[in-house]
Amino acid sequence: MFLFMLYQGEEIKKLIPQRDPIMMVDKFYSVDGDIAETGLSLTAGNFFIEEDGKMAETGLIEHIAQSASAFEGHKALANNLPTPVGYIGEVKKFHCYSRPAVGAELRTTIEMGAEVNGVTILAGHTMADGVKVADTQMKIFIEK
Amino acid sequence: MLLQDKFYKVNGVEKTDEQNAVFHCTLLSDCDVYRGHFPGNPVSPGVCNIEMIKECAMMLTGQRLVIKGIKQCRLTAVASPAVCPEVDVTVAVTPVEGGYSIVASIADSNQSYMEYKGEMAL
Repeated sequence: MFLFMLYQGEEIKKLIPQRDPIMMVDKFYSVDGDIAETGLSLTAGNFFIEEDGKMAETGLIEHIAQSASAFEGHKALANNLPTPVGYIGEVKKFHCYSRPAVGAELRTTIEMGAEVNGVTILAGHTMADGVKVADTQMKIFIEK
Repeated sequence: MLLQDKFYKVNGVEKTDEQNAVFHCTLLSDCDVYRGHFPGNPVSPGVCNIEMIKECAMMLTGQRLVIKGIKQCRLTAVASPAVCPEVDVTVAVTPVEGGYSIVASIADSNQSYMEYKGEMAL
């Protein structure tokens, strides 16, 4: 349990341009160098919840992408810059180990790599209530 | 199906054989997702295009599939209902243990939007 959190709920809107129904981050816990931790509570109304009450694998990818976008947003905010808009350029070596169900607490760690011509390479993995559900590498293009 | 008749609809299918097909799809501009992606700037979420590939693979195989792994998925151009209202989703499936190996792409007559390689499990 984290007692300290940088942003949550409505404050996340300062970090990412996505809005309902496709806001897939609702907590931004911490930053340590190139690593950030984020979270999402899976509610029944989530856009990616399928008929069986579990999240589609693509929802996990979007959550990881928005976690990276939130990290960029955090840096922009610290420098008084507008919220950056990020696009996924590539998903590579994605694995989905299980699909988390409604009620799960997602916790994601993002590690940002090098940026070349606006394209950033990153690695991320997501835990649901302590169990790894997904990991991936990604390239995102940040429009500044 | 999570996104069929919501994010896209299938207008026709050209099935070469049991393992290869092209799905002619319309991207639906009134999909709820565009309220948030992004306000005033409707862009098709790349992950929704991936989900569309998955659903086309499910239609081709007639089985419920889960994305187990993506080897590589390149998003080669920004898609939206304005830029590419009609797209072709080309899907090739090869049976492997526990599921299928999938090679797929999304394109229209102008350009390619997605190149996808991965595994889906039953």
